[in-house]
Amino acid sequence: MSHYALFPLTLGQILREYAITELHLTLNAGKWNYDNWGHPHEAGVGTGAELWAWMGVSEVTTVDERWSGLRNALSGLFCASLGSLDTRRTLSPTVAFPLSGSTPTFAPHELRHASLPSENVCTENLTPFLKLLPCKSHAGLAALLNPQKVFDADWHGMGIHVIWKEDAGVELKLTLQAVFNPVRTSAGKRRDWNLQSLFDRTIERPCPVANSSSVTVILPEEEDHKITPENPTYADGLAIYGLSSSSNFTIPLNIGMHWPSEHSFHYPLPPLTPVAPLSVKRTIHGTTQTRGVLSVSVTNNSPQELLAGYLEMMPALLTLWMHTLKVEINSQLRSDLLSGLKYHPPSLQSNDRLSPSMLQAVLTIPPKTTLKISMEVNKAFLKYTEHPPDAMRGWDLPGAVFFPLPQLSHDTCSSCDWERIYTPTLLVDLPTPDFSMPYNVIILSCTLMTLIFGSIFNLLTRKWVVVEIQE
Amino acid sequence: MDTQPAFPVLVCLRLLLAVLPLPGQDLLKHDHQLSSPLTSYLRLNEGLWLLENNINPYTGGAFHHSPLLLSLFSTIVPPLPIIWAVSDAVGAWALLRIWRARQGLSPQKGTRSNAENLIVSVYFLNPYLLLPSLALSTSTFENTLTLLALMFASEGKVSSALLAIAFTVHLTPSSILLLLPILMVLVSSPVSYLASPRPFHGNLKRIPILFGEFTLYWLVLVGAACIMAGGSWDWVRASWGASLALPDLTPNPGLWWYFFTEMFDHFRPFFLMVFSVHLVIYILPICIKFQHDPLYAAFLLVGVLGTFKAYLTLADPGLFLSMISLFPEVHGYLRHPIVTTLLHLHAALLLPLQHVLWVSEGRGNANFYYAASLVMGMAGGAGLVDACWAGMRIAVGDATVWAEEKVDGEKGKGKAIWWEVVQQ
Amino acid sequence: MNSATFANTGSGFKDPRKLSFERDWIRRTVLASYWIVIILAFPFWWHLTSIERLALPTSQIRLQVQKNIIFPIAVHFDASITEQNPNLNSRVQTLLRDSAINEPGRWKGVDLRLQDRNDEASNLYTVALGEQTSIAHSRHLRVNKTDAQSATRLSSILSDLIAPPESSTSHSQRVVQYSNHYRLAFTLLNEGAAPNRFVETWDVQAALAEFIFPLISRLSILHNFTVESQVQYYAPLAFEPKRLTFGDTEASGLTQEDLTVFVNSAEWTLASSVSNDPVLHFVLFAPSETHSPMSIIDSEGRPTNQYSFLLPQWGSIFILNNEFNSSSLHLSYNDLKPVFCNFATQLAALLGVPPVPLGLSMEESSILSDWQLDALLRRRAFQNVQGSQDTLHSIVKLVDQINNMPVGQVVRDDVLDALASLHEAYRTAIASPALALRWSSRALSMASRAFFNPGMLALLYFPAEHKYAVYTPLFASISVPLVVALIRDFMAWRRGSQDDGRR
Repeated sequence: MSHYALFPLTLGQILREYAITELHLTLNAGKWNYDNWGHPHEAGVGTGAELWAWMGVSEVTTVDERWSGLRNALSGLFCASLGSLDTRRTLSPTVAFPLSGSTPTFAPHELRHASLPSENVCTENLTPFLKLLPCKSHAGLAALLNPQKVFDADWHGMGIHVIWKEDAGVELKLTLQAVFNPVRTSAGKRRDWNLQSLFDRTIERPCPVANSSSVTVILPEEEDHKITPENPTYADGLAIYGLSSSSNFTIPLNIGMHWPSEHSFHYPLPPLTPVAPLSVKRTIHGTTQTRGVLSVSVTNNSPQELLAGYLEMMPALLTLWMHTLKVEINSQLRSDLLSGLKYHPPSLQSNDRLSPSMLQAVLTIPPKTTLKISMEVNKAFLKYTEHPPDAMRGWDLPGAVFFPLPQLSHDTCSSCDWERIYTPTLLVDLPTPDFSMPYNVIILSCTLMTLIFGSIFNLLTRKWVVVEIQE
Repeated sequence: MDTQPAFPVLVCLRLLLAVLPLPGQDLLKHDHQLSSPLTSYLRLNEGLWLLENNINPYTGGAFHHSPLLLSLFSTIVPPLPIIWAVSDAVGAWALLRIWRARQGLSPQKGTRSNAENLIVSVYFLNPYLLLPSLALSTSTFENTLTLLALMFASEGKVSSALLAIAFTVHLTPSSILLLLPILMVLVSSPVSYLASPRPFHGNLKRIPILFGEFTLYWLVLVGAACIMAGGSWDWVRASWGASLALPDLTPNPGLWWYFFTEMFDHFRPFFLMVFSVHLVIYILPICIKFQHDPLYAAFLLVGVLGTFKAYLTLADPGLFLSMISLFPEVHGYLRHPIVTTLLHLHAALLLPLQHVLWVSEGRGNANFYYAASLVMGMAGGAGLVDACWAGMRIAVGDATVWAEEKVDGEKGKGKAIWWEVVQQ
Repeated sequence: MNSATFANTGSGFKDPRKLSFERDWIRRTVLASYWIVIILAFPFWWHLTSIERLALPTSQIRLQVQKNIIFPIAVHFDASITEQNPNLNSRVQTLLRDSAINEPGRWKGVDLRLQDRNDEASNLYTVALGEQTSIAHSRHLRVNKTDAQSATRLSSILSDLIAPPESSTSHSQRVVQYSNHYRLAFTLLNEGAAPNRFVETWDVQAALAEFIFPLISRLSILHNFTVESQVQYYAPLAFEPKRLTFGDTEASGLTQEDLTVFVNSAEWTLASSVSNDPVLHFVLFAPSETHSPMSIIDSEGRPTNQYSFLLPQWGSIFILNNEFNSSSLHLSYNDLKPVFCNFATQLAALLGVPPVPLGLSMEESSILSDWQLDALLRRRAFQNVQGSQDTLHSIVKLVDQINNMPVGQVVRDDVLDALASLHEAYRTAIASPALALRWSSRALSMASRAFFNPGMLALLYFPAEHKYAVYTPLFASISVPLVVALIRDFMAWRRGSQDDGRR
């Protein structure tokens, strides 16, 4: 017996069926540019699909069975290939992905986390996402979400976050983030924007069952802009438009901003100062198809020393050579800056597949410095049946995750205030066999083997004779 | 020990190579021809790192070395290049002692013949052996242990020989091929009877006892390995299982990797079984046929391993090639030594070339390297067949006259008669 | 060439025949050792490549498939009836037998007897004289005096109660397939959500408790139910309903064709596919302002006073035409009464509950009489038995036809389990239709689980020709020298022994 009013039944059924305490699913496209855009409102911006769930241990079904059921159910619900987030991609990085709600006391809880960087996010995923809203895309803010415009943005992503709170029950948060670039789409290279130009739509009516819905505009620091309609609530550099029925805005509401005195917008010239306290670059270099060097450089842009958790979740097709791990600052070895190293090599799962390897460490990054971590990696040689149909395209590797840790010093600093950071994904090409060869190889190798086998056999079983040759 | 000047000189040179920083050593360490996943120095170091950090090295699927090697390098000595040089020296010395035992000479006092110089040089300077050793592949230790086992067997030191072969089998299970000939050497003699074959001359009843002793040593080693691995059996699957189930498909000069890369999943276990049985099938026929000279049977089986082993590296055919120098008596009877040599040269050039083209530069594809590995297989096979032929052909002996005139009585015409030794 | 002359020449060669390793026994042991290893490897070959095809109990399945489930039923006429009309018993019996011959489909699986003795068997139904013709408690039927006189009337009532007619095709299409577990999803759909023109809350719990739960608790011996409810906004129709004008009021009408496409599955999210259990939907549809009031119209375009309709095997829809005042965003229990009363009837129809025969009333205010429940149990059990028999038969046929189809332990166990459950169903049918149904349901689910086992498809697409292409390169070329050497040596040995014999 369960009754749903605003909470979507389809999602509720899944949560009940698999006894999920906390669930986070994000589907993102593009890479989030922390240096220029700062931190997103919702931290989960890793490219592709990311799913993590906390589940209580029960005696009826194992956590892994429920995890697999959850994946399949969600991929059915969101038309995404989450079913392939199998044991080859599943890990349990509890430090980086803690429970966000209350800590349940009724059962010990376990985390399952998996990500699929190659997942493409498109309209098929947005439609079911919108259907989870009470007013769908018919009213309220969600009516703005025109797939054609949203998927044309520089970056876009959606998220479903289910959090259990002891006093409030289950809380569902549906988020959709997008980064638009009005300069790119405008003819005159102007940065003026309004809802109509961004979405091709305006807010026609509020969703009647919404308790509150509002649009917040963060105002730029320069003074020469104009914002319409002109009567929002101003607070702390923000302009807030509340959409409740009592507000005095005309509907349809088309919020916009323009710079009357500016003829065309010029991007500020580099070097730009990064907005986020931490900037991360991660690459794999090495020219051969069998090995390379994974190098991560982390820059602390703040004037304080930063403690950052570093998490790598590497599919088993890439082997990390941990003994080659090096931590450097300006080409000087500084092993003391890396502590609390935890490494789980890939482990063999029951279905003969290897789970990803997990590397977790705490980095101490001195102020205004760049720390470089590097290690050698090996790329696996796979059976020809294990390669995807587009084997030459290469394999997407999930990004590394950096997460804040409690600072050692107790002085609070504004710049230390940051959230989980995802590095962009990597594409590696693995050496491929020739996919047309199976029978050729069987014939050639077997022939060589039988040739040698037959020769030895004949040598050992035939009789020796001396023959006369007469001419 | 009284030896030829070549030995100390070469040992010194080898030690020098180990101590001096070599420019291309990093490249050698990663080379797929010189070390396989089972013998790679990189993986050994990774295993040591994991052990040091209290992580079971055998869970990851990347580490395949024996726990004995792991504990040797983690507790007694670090894996320094000098150990590989010493191992090479021991191997050469063992080869020399086998030669002396075969010639019936005192193990301590060799003759001042050029043959000894040659044997030592052939071992030290064989690129198939030297390069894997410089690449710090643990196949060097396996080769040295194999030679030590043969040496002790030739000198009749039962326990040492059995212990050495037990070690070898522990490190590479496929060395079990050499057990029977070594037991036969122990109960008979290492002296060459190739030219004058005789039925097996030894006490066959001792073989089961010796086999029991071998099993005992082997079990002790397994037990020791288990203790070193912290009481778990993961290492069995990771190290021995690897050469049976071929989990890692890194290319090597052998015949297995591409075959099982391309094999259909349904037939994979079956062909893994066929390839393993194919190795074992050679033991009895060769040992029965060469019962008059079991050392030669061991040599042939080394050749089998050097051609058909899973995770083959150049060190395996290298051992076979270097051991040819132990049997100078058959050299004259080789049927097509030129062809074999050329095939080996061809393979030695093709393998690194195609490997670079495919893996490093990405200009070729896997078939290039596969073709080169087929050439390597042909070279190994040709050497093996030739050695097998020569080992039997020598028994028929040489013609004292090459040809003779035979006068045909009826027609009065002279006819030249040649002889040829063939098999029918 | 001549090797025989060898001994005479002075070439210096040793005679190969005298070499120790050229002795026959050595050559033969070499050959034998090859063969021994190969023969030892054969079991591995067999083990590693054979497709696991466990034998299915074919003959047992054939035997079970021919069997039929039989529910013996005894009807007892109370002395109050038979006293007045002593030969009523035999006349009713004849009429019922005739009915069974005329309509064999309806009477399948039912073995009806009229019984004189009144013993306390569980499958005994009693007919007694009463004030009016009605169904009484626990398998009793009361008939009034006039009905008690007529054998035709009695036999017709009895046959309607015991073997309810299935004649209408709509009936069989409407009833959902049997499942052990159903989800009932009650949805309040607001077509639009214009301010003050939508329903935000409803007293669904009270309405369910009143109308639905008594029914499903009565049916709980047949099925388990999960009940869920939700409220949805902005659930548009996929078509534009017909505009109707009556004087100055406007309304919209749904034609019969509209009803078939009423459910807009693209826009309505009614339930997720989280489990394989069938879902029955009950939709309370609140039309938007423009479409209100909405009614179902007949073929001549006139509105009917019918506001609900049933979608076969899917569920039921009720159109809400309440007038909204500005504050009525809430549907009270009283508002929901007609709706849920209707839903309860529809649910019973969807689950195949036989209706009370015409002219019969229920004496007690129970939702479902034992007569109805028993008839439903018998019918469902009979259908399940038939379904599992068909499935088992198909499995056997399929496995027989396709030689490459693996039959694993799981499949075999499921088939055996299905067979055992079938057997139990036959056995328990005599005593308890409820138990028989439980076993038959188990048999059906086991049989279909075996049928849809994914392991059976593993090698379906690997033709035999490919297998030869994989085996031949190695085995053809290896076996030729091995076999030839064997034959040659055998011939030589025979020749040698003949020579010995001659000497």
